[in-house]
Amino acid sequence: MVAEVVVLMLADARLPTGGHTQSAGLEAAVRAGLDVPGVAAYARDRLRTVVRVEAGTAVVARHLALAGTDPLAVVPHWAARTPSRALRDVAGRTGRGYVRLAERIWPDVVGLLPRDSETPRPVVLGVIGAVTGLSAGQVARLTAYDDAQTVVAASLKLLPVDPADAAGWLVGLQPDIEACVTAVADLVAPDAIPACGAPLVDSFAQQHVTERMRLFHA
Amino acid sequence: MPESPRRSLRLGVAGPVGTGKSSLIATVCRTLASELSLGVVTNDIYTDEDARFLRSAGVLAEDRIRAVETGACPHTAIRDDVTPNLIAVEALEADYALDVVLVESGGDNLTATFSPALVDAQLFVLDVAGGGDVARKGGPGIARADLLVVNKTDLGPYVGVDVAQMVVDATAARDGRPVLALSRTDAASVAALADWVRSVLAARRAGTHTPVDPGPMAPHTHADGADHAHDHSRAHAH
Repeated sequence: MVAEVVVLMLADARLPTGGHTQSAGLEAAVRAGLDVPGVAAYARDRLRTVVRVEAGTAVVARHLALAGTDPLAVVPHWAARTPSRALRDVAGRTGRGYVRLAERIWPDVVGLLPRDSETPRPVVLGVIGAVTGLSAGQVARLTAYDDAQTVVAASLKLLPVDPADAAGWLVGLQPDIEACVTAVADLVAPDAIPACGAPLVDSFAQQHVTERMRLFHA
Repeated sequence: MPESPRRSLRLGVAGPVGTGKSSLIATVCRTLASELSLGVVTNDIYTDEDARFLRSAGVLAEDRIRAVETGACPHTAIRDDVTPNLIAVEALEADYALDVVLVESGGDNLTATFSPALVDAQLFVLDVAGGGDVARKGGPGIARADLLVVNKTDLGPYVGVDVAQMVVDATAARDGRPVLALSRTDAASVAALADWVRSVLAARRAGTHTPVDPGPMAPHTHADGADHAHDHSRAHAH
């Protein structure tokens, strides 16, 4: 399969991995007061912080898998950089959705990761990248783009937003997506994964799990 | 993929908002919880309203009722991308030895039906208060769900609906498939609902139940595990 097609599939919300349940924390941020003018800035702040942890983890997991070592070795390094228990749980649940699909369409993935397990999503993405021939840059760009698109798409459900404006935000975020790619694409060692957090993102995620009226899982 | 020995009968409950899906599930649980091991997965628009209703009804242990978020896409969650629901169903099956898991769709429109990738059989719920003509509007759930329920029959006199005529219309739309006129205050109708659940469970255990996709053409899986596409025995437009 052509690697570029794999990237397109993984970046497509129609791929059945449960992506429609995710808002990349936007729902909780909106509940805390974020409004329309802040959406693009929220996505940008994520690209400069928590997404670098995710993308770096995915890139290193891909490297470990290609090097013939256990990609799960990256998990404690990712967990140490993801202080919110709620966010770690969400990554596990969403990762499980990808593993479940990969078992059917990219079965080599389950030779490297346990079936029906809550392996964190960036680790799963890295391993899918390894078995489908994606470059480190493609894995990083996919992770960053998907996060920004998740925020932007969820804003249409949560706020009064013109969908064309939302698409424009995504275009405007391209330099930040590329900066994230540049920051992590060459990483090979788990301890080199960026450790740049966004405390409010963690705090919002913790609040969201106890919220009654949720549209999104996270 | 070999089926897990803990695999339950997965039963979908679909239908428009307010037709009584949660109430029907509470009725099934109340009637059958003493003889069958049950679990429920809900898909309310706002996560846990339906789950809370069912928990407060006190018919099942709280942990056997789980809520799945749909990102405001209740149709997607039961059809185009069933991943979060399947994971929830499998988690319930792993935690309890279940006979039946009921999956409640978030109330959507008449076109929303469950994928056979998620459920083995499904009920579509209408209610008399929604209007006597709804059954005539048709749609995949009304026409081809395993069971069509016309709910809240006790309200017929108050909303000016001829319940018997509504059932006749519904039956005509279904080509002989079953229709159940239900009221939770009518013990005989509740018993008929419970009997239907028992019969589907028995058929599935006997290997004679075939999951049918009420929606548009799509491959589905038979009890023997063979996949196939529908043959076009009836003329229809694509």
